[in-house]
Amino acid sequence: MVRPLPGSISETYARDISRVLIESEAIQQRIREMGAQIAYDYADLRPLFVGVLKGVLFFMADLLRAVPIPLEVDFMAISSYSPETRKHGVVRITKDLETPLQGRHVIFVEDMIDTGLTLNYLLRQLQTRNPASLHVAVLFDKPSRRLVDIKPRYLGFRLPDLFVVGYGLDYREQYRNLPFVGVLKPEVL
Amino acid sequence: MPTVDEVPFQHPSEREFALLLDFYGIRWEYEPRTFPLEYNPDGSVRSAFSPDFYLPDLDLYVELTAQSSRLNHLKNRKIRRLKELYPDINIKLLNRRDLQQLALKYAFPSPVTSTKTKKDS
Repeated sequence: MVRPLPGSISETYARDISRVLIESEAIQQRIREMGAQIAYDYADLRPLFVGVLKGVLFFMADLLRAVPIPLEVDFMAISSYSPETRKHGVVRITKDLETPLQGRHVIFVEDMIDTGLTLNYLLRQLQTRNPASLHVAVLFDKPSRRLVDIKPRYLGFRLPDLFVVGYGLDYREQYRNLPFVGVLKPEVL
Repeated sequence: MPTVDEVPFQHPSEREFALLLDFYGIRWEYEPRTFPLEYNPDGSVRSAFSPDFYLPDLDLYVELTAQSSRLNHLKNRKIRRLKELYPDINIKLLNRRDLQQLALKYAFPSPVTSTKTKKDS
């Protein structure tokens, strides 16, 4: 079903989006459900939420506010794959966590899992730091191109095989600030 | 294991894929194994299939195809047969659309723009 685009987004963005796939209200509702489940599971564990900049910002901010228990949060950043960065050979952590993971109950928060390559790399890195537990919360799962079999403990939505943007998902660093998830018009790509 | 520059890839998209795997620390082998699919009456192999990649850490074979979906019938049939004959083999087919999406995501050349034809392995 084609839904009308919200009138509050810029005309430029509105021109580039063919349709809304997941509305803002649906995203927020699902995050509240995920937050409630996490709060139940980690009630006395003071979990540490870990995210990788930049796409996870929006999800992390909303998720944390939906988890009404004592918790902590930390961020890291890695070099993303590009013709430039691949000259260096391997992915690099460009901003590391400030919080030691030893003995902590860690929830790794991701905006989307696609091939699983990035997430697999990060989980391997974090596992070497000996957390008490390490689980994954992902808002969007696009399983069609999955190479690494990763099963998130907490999952928001499964996405069809479409190029989508919004709510943290970008195309060339644009569209992250859309409050919904939309399908990008093919002519934009 | 050989490096990307030491492997005579059949198609540029295979090289890009190998570079991507290297970047994320996933070990790979290029066409390490050929699976017989059909035999002649004399016992010789009539049809076989060599997946492009094997990822030992994931125990996963990966086949890439830059052909349009209309031209993929033969490859799809071989993969179906492979799964029938070797049910313990894990194999993932990344088709042209998948490669296009990966190219968009990771900013490497689109397989469609490549003029070299990928063999039907």
